[in-house]
Amino acid sequence: MEFRLEAHRIVSISLGKIYSARGQRGGLKLHKNLLVSLVLRSARRVYLGEPGGECALPPRPGPPPPPDCERLRRGCRPLASEAAARGRPECPAESPRKRSAAERDPAAGYPGKKPRREAEQPPPQEDMETGNVASLISIFGSGFSGLLGKERGAAEATEPGQVCCEQPVLRSLNPWSTAIVAF
Amino acid sequence: MKCFSRYLPYIFRPPNTILSCSCHTEADIISTVEFNHTGELLATGDKGGRVVIFQREQESKNQPHRRGEYNVYSTFQSHEPEFDYLKSLEIEEKINKIRWLPQQNAAYFLLSTNDKTVKLWKVSERDKRPEGYNLKDEDGRLRDPSMITMLRVPVLRPMDLMVEATPRRVFANAHTYHINSISVNSDYETYMSADDLRINLWNFEITNQSFNIVDIKPANMEELTEVITAAEFHPHHCNTFVYSSSKGTIRLCDMRASALCDRHSKFFEEPEDPSNRSFFSEIISSISDVKFSHSGRYIMTRDYLTVKVWDLNMENRPIETYQVHDYLRSKLCSLYENDCIFDKFECVWNGSDSVIMTGSYNNFFRMFDRNTKRDVTLEASRENSKPRAILKPRKVCVGGKRRKDEISVDSLDFSKKILHTAWHPSENIIAVAATNNLYIFQDKVN
Repeated sequence: MEFRLEAHRIVSISLGKIYSARGQRGGLKLHKNLLVSLVLRSARRVYLGEPGGECALPPRPGPPPPPDCERLRRGCRPLASEAAARGRPECPAESPRKRSAAERDPAAGYPGKKPRREAEQPPPQEDMETGNVASLISIFGSGFSGLLGKERGAAEATEPGQVCCEQPVLRSLNPWSTAIVAF
Repeated sequence: MKCFSRYLPYIFRPPNTILSCSCHTEADIISTVEFNHTGELLATGDKGGRVVIFQREQESKNQPHRRGEYNVYSTFQSHEPEFDYLKSLEIEEKINKIRWLPQQNAAYFLLSTNDKTVKLWKVSERDKRPEGYNLKDEDGRLRDPSMITMLRVPVLRPMDLMVEATPRRVFANAHTYHINSISVNSDYETYMSADDLRINLWNFEITNQSFNIVDIKPANMEELTEVITAAEFHPHHCNTFVYSSSKGTIRLCDMRASALCDRHSKFFEEPEDPSNRSFFSEIISSISDVKFSHSGRYIMTRDYLTVKVWDLNMENRPIETYQVHDYLRSKLCSLYENDCIFDKFECVWNGSDSVIMTGSYNNFFRMFDRNTKRDVTLEASRENSKPRAILKPRKVCVGGKRRKDEISVDSLDFSKKILHTAWHPSENIIAVAATNNLYIFQDKVN
C-alpha cells in the first residue's frame, strides 16, 4: 500500500516537472524530460496496478521478478494482450539477460540509414512539436485526480490488465508517449 | 612527490587568492573548466556566455611564493542569447563545454559551445605596434599627401600587452537538439559535436557542412528510450570515439567501419543490481560524463552515485567502481523532487591516470587513488582555504553518532554542488568550480 502512496506522490511530482519544463529558458530539455517520463511510467504502473508495475519496485523476498522486467527495463512493451491490442511488434523473445544482436543494435530495423551531410539550413521536418504539449498541459491542469478520473472511466469498459489505446481519449492521456512526441 | 599524507600522495593547498566575483548572479555560475594541453592556461565558461582564461605566472626569483599562480589573461563574450523565431525558442548563451586545441603557433585556439553553436576562438597577444606610417598619423587620421615630404619605414615599438580574442569560425545550424559535448580529434583537423540524438563530425576549416556520424533518433519519437549524454574521441586513435547514453551504456565506434557509426564496435554495460532497483534506477544509471584515460586504455564514466573505470578490452562490466556519495541512495525521492537527481557531474583523470576526481554536494569533491584504493573528500570553501593552509579531509556521517568534524547527511547543502573540475595535465594542480567561485589548489611544495 505504501508503494501506491509513494507512486502517487511521484506521479504528481513528475507531472509538475513536465508542466514547468514548458516555460524553461532554452526550450524543453529532451534528456531530462525523457527521464521524468520513465519515472512517471514506472510510478503510474505501480499506482494503477498494471502488469509489470512491480518491476519498478525494490525486490521483496520471495520468487524472483518475472523475465518481463528485463524487457520493460529496456523499453519494450509488456507482452501478450497489450501488444496484441496495439498491433505493434513485440520485442523478440529471449532470456532475460542476453541481448540479441538486433536488440543491441539500435540501427537495426530503421531502414535506409544513409550518411548525410547537414547543410547549413536546418532540416525542415524536424519540428520540436509543441502542439501536443498544449493538450497535455490542459489535461494535467486538473491535476493528477483529473488524469485518474478519466482513466478509471475508460478502464471500466475494458478487461483488467489491458490498456485500451484504441480509444483516442485514453491514448492522449498517456503522458509518456505524449511528452516524447512533443519533441 | 616529496609530501605524503595519510590519504593520498598529494596535499593540496590553495593559492593566495581565490578567483571569484563578489556578487553572485545566475550569469556568473561557472559551467565548464578546462586546462589546455600544457596546463599553462585554464579556461572557464559561465552561464552568461563569457569565457575567462587564466594564465600561470612564470616562476620568478623575486617572488618565489607566487610560483605557479593563475591570473586572469583574457575575458571575452563567447556566446550571446539568441532567439529561434521558427520554433519560438530562446537559445541559452550558457557555455556547455570548452576544449582547447594543441598549440601550433604563438596564438591559442579553443572551441566553445552553447546548446546550438560551436565557435573557434583565437586568443593572441599583441605587445608591439607599428609606428611611423607615412599616409596616416598616430591617431589613424589620413595625412594630406601633399604635406608629406619624407618617406620613412614604420617600426615596431613595444606597447602594453594586450590579449585579444577573435572568433575565427562559427559552426552553426547543425544541431536540432542540445549540444552536450565537443571533442577535438587527435588528428587536429577535425572535431565532433554531440547532442541528445546525433553526433556530427566537423573539419575546422569548413563551417557550412558537417558529417553526421551517429544518429539514434527513432523514426517514431514515441519509441525514444535513450539519448546521448557525452562523447569523446580516443586520445591517440583518430578513428575511434565513445559515446555514453542515458541508459548507462557506452558505445565505442570506429569511423573506418562505415560512414554512419550507428553500429558500435564495442558495447559497455554492467548488468543492473536487482537489489538496488527503485523508481529512480534509470535516472541514476544515466551517465553524465565519459572520459578516456590519457593512455587511451581505459574509459571513466560518471553516473549519479558512482564513478566507474572500464577497460576497453572488457565490455561486460567495469574494472573499478567507486562510490561517490552512496549515502544519497536512500534520499533519491527527495533529490528527484528538488531536481538534484538530474545534476550532471563530471569526472577527470590526473596526468598519470592514477587518481580520478569528481564533485559532490556541499562543495565537496572526491579523489580516488586507483593504486592504493584510498579515497579522500575535500571541501572547496573560503573558510577552509586560507593561503598556504592544507585542505583537511572531510567526512560525511551516515548514521549513528556523529563525530566531531563530521557532517551529517541531512546537513549537506545541496545548492552547493561541484559539477566541474579539471586536473593539470602533468602537475598536481586542480581547478574546482563551486557555483560562481573557482578554486585552484596545488600540492605542497617543500
